[in-house]
Amino acid sequence: MSHTAFQERGPTVQVEADYVVVGTGAGGAAAAVTLARGGASVLMVEAGPWREPKDYAHSTYGAMRDMMDDWSSLITMGRALWPVVQGRLVGGTTVINSAICVRTPADVFEEWQRDHGVGGPELAATVWRHQDRLEAELGVEHTAPEAMGRSNELALAGDAAAGFDGHVIQRFAKGCEGSGQCLQGCRAERKQSTNLNYVPETLQRGGSMLSCAPAERILFEGARAVGVSGRFQHPQTRRRGAAFQARARKGVFVAASSTHSPVLLRRSGLRHKAVGAGFRAHPGSGVFGLYDEPVDQNRGVTQGWASTRFRADPGFKLETLAIPMEMAIARMAGGGAPLMERIAGYRHMAMWCHATRARSVGRVHVGLGGRPIVRYTLDRRDMETFREGMHRVAELHFAAGAKQVVSGIYGLPPSIGPDELHLVAQGPLDPRNYVAILSHLFGGACMGADPSRSVCDGRGKVHGHPGLYVADASLMPDNIGVNPQHTIMALAMMVAEGALAEGTLAEGTLAEGTLAEGTLAEGARA
Amino acid sequence: MVRLPPLPGPLVRFLLKTAMRDMMPAAAGLPGIADTDLDGFLDRLFREATGLLLLGLALGAVLWVSLPILTVYVPLPSFWLPRKLRQRHTERLTSTRIYAVRQSVFLLKMYACMCWGQDPAVRARFALAPYPVDPGTFRTT
Repeated sequence: MSHTAFQERGPTVQVEADYVVVGTGAGGAAAAVTLARGGASVLMVEAGPWREPKDYAHSTYGAMRDMMDDWSSLITMGRALWPVVQGRLVGGTTVINSAICVRTPADVFEEWQRDHGVGGPELAATVWRHQDRLEAELGVEHTAPEAMGRSNELALAGDAAAGFDGHVIQRFAKGCEGSGQCLQGCRAERKQSTNLNYVPETLQRGGSMLSCAPAERILFEGARAVGVSGRFQHPQTRRRGAAFQARARKGVFVAASSTHSPVLLRRSGLRHKAVGAGFRAHPGSGVFGLYDEPVDQNRGVTQGWASTRFRADPGFKLETLAIPMEMAIARMAGGGAPLMERIAGYRHMAMWCHATRARSVGRVHVGLGGRPIVRYTLDRRDMETFREGMHRVAELHFAAGAKQVVSGIYGLPPSIGPDELHLVAQGPLDPRNYVAILSHLFGGACMGADPSRSVCDGRGKVHGHPGLYVADASLMPDNIGVNPQHTIMALAMMVAEGALAEGTLAEGTLAEGTLAEGTLAEGARA
Repeated sequence: MVRLPPLPGPLVRFLLKTAMRDMMPAAAGLPGIADTDLDGFLDRLFREATGLLLLGLALGAVLWVSLPILTVYVPLPSFWLPRKLRQRHTERLTSTRIYAVRQSVFLLKMYACMCWGQDPAVRARFALAPYPVDPGTFRTT
């Protein structure tokens, strides 16, 4: 096991392994552990620092500084400026999300096969097989009733009255206490972010890691990927340190997220028009319900209830979401004394949200200093769906007994009563009227059967570049309408398994039949 | 990471404090942001934030102070306005139809809320435990 954090300027740090994996979030860590279990030596290269739970921030300010990518300053460049939320530390976004575990729906594979020539029943079976393993290893649980908190209980009650077919969310969390600290990282170590499991396991299996080490370029010999290079960066001062060069004997895995993976590919000389294309998301927004009783939404699990009833038609998911008070009150309308009067009622508020399965497609470009630029705007049809999502959340609040809702929609009254619900349903369709975020990202280095329209094949191998793989959400050629972590991890494991099979078959030591049954990792472990 | 040259600290600090105090005054039985450790918060922010973020906040503060001419039709900076007029400026600016201005003000509001919401007295008012100090540490080996 070896870990190298920030290094001051000096000689170039040189390291070598069978595989170099860029990124340690859901995709990178899942790929790394699969490779390590298969007997390969793995080097993980992570842009952010390695923070143990004791290092996690307590405050929202601290979380922005220590955990978010560049203080969460990446925003969509389009008609509306919506923040793109991503983690930048060992464990990636799995440290700051709610670890919601949803299996990839079957229709996703059918759509991918129909529209992109990848997927179908074979991919579905492979992904679900990996999801079986993930659920067993990471201890997926439904949140216990005692950890739910009043906001989630109200959502369950509203659901029972409104008939939204909701459910208690299952999460990668073992014995969640409902501390409401998902966004700042779970100091109680209940949430199974990858920095607690797959990253340490990879290291225990002989792997190594560079942290505070943003990869800047993929190294090629001819068309073959043979490593990555970059320069260490101090996580507090952002001072640049020593250069590093990570050589890969067998392959390079790019798993730096849907915004950073396309940028890395592009900066490394991949000029294909498909690099950066096909960016998709689940833009979401919240509505507060104002109740007679104190809700104290920050007590209890951050996200405990969800409904997928509207996933297929018109295309959104409903969820509870208790963000920290500082962020919640910033969404309230106005300023000065009227704002303070609204804030005074915070204990009586519950925030629930929707995430729209938007069909609009954006593009990731390389910006100043190698930062991603995301061009993305929802079209009218998506905005109608988005608005309907807001309406349904408001409806759920009233069904749960809210006396008013605070929609945060510009142009509508700051608070709306049950008899004014139509105002939300008929609300504006300009995205600039909504305070929204993009937290589920997809595409940018999509897989597809046609090399002229895609970056990777159906197994994550980059077309025309032997030894180069993509293993994160940027693979996905469309969004999926549910929380993507489970799908990202399973796809990354599949890509890693395929790479191992290629490497091992090249050495003539493994029969194809064994791989088809997916027993490589178990065999290696045994 | 984009690094910008250091901003003129004292002026930006004055503008930010002016805007944040107007944004979150003591009202409705709640303490105002002036009752919290705003200077300490700005010290941290100036020391730790990226140049791009500081530039965004400074822009919001400049707009806040300089736009009474458009909101209340008085050619004075907001800090010279009488109290009632300043309050009207705050209300109009935070609900302006100009999206770019609204977004700049939103960024300002977000950081004002972070400062205000991490104050122990404010958190106690909402039955929330005080925040311990953020360790800001990471593994070096």
